[in-house]
Amino acid sequence: MIEVKNLTFSYSKDKQALHGLGFTVEDGEIFGFLGPNGSGKSTTQKILTGMLKGYGGQVSLFRQDISAIRGLEFFQKIGVLFEFPYLYANLSAVDNLNYFASFYPKEQRRDVGELLEMLEFKPDFLKKPVSSCSKGMRQRVSMARALVSNPQLLFLDEPTSGLDPSGAVLFRKIIEQERKKGTTVFVTTHNMMDADLLCDRVAFISNGNLVALDTPKQLKEKNSNHQVVIEYLYRGKRETKTIEVLELEAGISFAHDEIISIHSQEPTLEDMFIQYTGRGLS
Amino acid sequence: MGNGFYTLFKKDCRMLASGKFFLMAIGFLVLYTAYVNLGYIRFMQMPPYNVYLYDPAGTQAAKSSLVQTVTSMEAMDAALLADANGVGLDASAGDVQVVLYAGAEHIDRHRADYALSLLRPSASRTPAVIGVNTPEQKARKEITCELLFFEMAAVGFLGIAAVLFKEKNMGVLRVHAVLPLQKNWFLLSKLAVFLFSDLAFAALLTLLNVGPSNGMAVLPAVLLQTAVLSLIMALMGLLCALLLKDFRQFTLAYLVITIFAATPVFLSANTSVKFDWIGWHPFYHVYMGLKNAYFCISVSPVYYAGSAAAIVLLFLVVQYAFCREIGKEV
Repeated sequence: MIEVKNLTFSYSKDKQALHGLGFTVEDGEIFGFLGPNGSGKSTTQKILTGMLKGYGGQVSLFRQDISAIRGLEFFQKIGVLFEFPYLYANLSAVDNLNYFASFYPKEQRRDVGELLEMLEFKPDFLKKPVSSCSKGMRQRVSMARALVSNPQLLFLDEPTSGLDPSGAVLFRKIIEQERKKGTTVFVTTHNMMDADLLCDRVAFISNGNLVALDTPKQLKEKNSNHQVVIEYLYRGKRETKTIEVLELEAGISFAHDEIISIHSQEPTLEDMFIQYTGRGLS
Repeated sequence: MGNGFYTLFKKDCRMLASGKFFLMAIGFLVLYTAYVNLGYIRFMQMPPYNVYLYDPAGTQAAKSSLVQTVTSMEAMDAALLADANGVGLDASAGDVQVVLYAGAEHIDRHRADYALSLLRPSASRTPAVIGVNTPEQKARKEITCELLFFEMAAVGFLGIAAVLFKEKNMGVLRVHAVLPLQKNWFLLSKLAVFLFSDLAFAALLTLLNVGPSNGMAVLPAVLLQTAVLSLIMALMGLLCALLLKDFRQFTLAYLVITIFAATPVFLSANTSVKFDWIGWHPFYHVYMGLKNAYFCISVSPVYYAGSAAAIVLLFLVVQYAFCREIGKEV
């Protein structure tokens, strides 16, 4: 679906944002693009969505070089959720969606009412200007806008930003449903939980360089010390012991009365990011 | 394709309606019409100076009804003290003496001649009127032209910039960058809304203030000049809104354009003040184009070619600024 080779971009002579990125995103894959602020995530997404020109290297979408893509068909196939809910504040959620949907062919559009219901948008606010909605509700309208055209390729920038935990769970469920329909999803995020739970593969980007690319599971396993911490009770005392996973496979050899918990020492995605880039996700 | 443009056009109309732009335009139309018909024309027909006559012997029997008689020199002094532009005529000693508070010499002569002419109104010759415009018609056309120019140069310019600033602040410009629509439509729909609104405004203002039959005679030429001015001002408004960071910066640019750009044009076109460099001022030519349309004076094709080139050039610059804006980092 997406093929990027040696992608470079400079905003000015002394401000190179991307230094030869290369990656591919398969059809129907959820691909996570992770990096701290200013790392080049948004620049990459803008190039992929056709908003930025003047880049170096090769970028292909839908098996076609993006520089050769002309006309409106390309934009009919993509849906974009921006980091902030960009909407007409004076229009209602329904009017906003009807307006944005009207640029797509009728047969491609989804029903606005159904979409808002699926996104659990409060019915009381359907006809009210979006300026009166909470950030979470506006984010739901923005997500509906990105989905209203039934896109084949969905770009999501911080999809769960501004949502409460149940909203974030709902969004992850919807993104998963989209993937099941065959939609390819390109997620740009800071949220490690989203990346871990949603993405088939993640790419870490730092200072315009791709520093790691793999499945979240592989990234964590590759860097795991393969140890577990066992918390147990012995003669009325609570104690902990760290042992190798292989040692655990043979059974618990030390004396104990009761096992309270066993925790793997596998690193988190955030640990991995810091390890690869030397920077935290801020 | 047309459907996308229609959607944008409808949305822009809605934005303007919600921003009370149309209501404001109607308000200005009513205000200008009331000013022209109830204020300006009456003011232009008023005698230029009040004339006070002290004539105890009643020697000035042929005087005009515009002359006000006073009963004593003390009363004359009191009248002139209250009305310093007034002119006093003292006929108590046989010969008529002019009494006035001195101002500029050439004005004082005019005041004195005018006051003396009112003593023999039948002796004044009626001048031949050149052209088809009566003095009232001329005044109506001049003031309508000025008001229309002001409305489009100041109010229309502000209106289009306010709409784009609103969209810029809401971030929706970026959304349009990823929608399946020709990016130019976004600009063209705004230009179309303002063009139609300005044309309707110009037609109504002209018909209401110049009069139905005289208004209809000049309307085609006036609408053509309105279209030229409307497009130039709307494109400048769009450019300012795209280049400037916020509305505060825009307010400063607005002041510079409306005061420093429009003032010399008004002065040069409507008064005897002439600046050597005014021929280089583009607004002077646009204003004169509009004024010539009201007075049925043909305009040079060079002016139209220059206007068309300016509009195309401005559109290309606006297009570039727009593409740069939608690809900007947040």
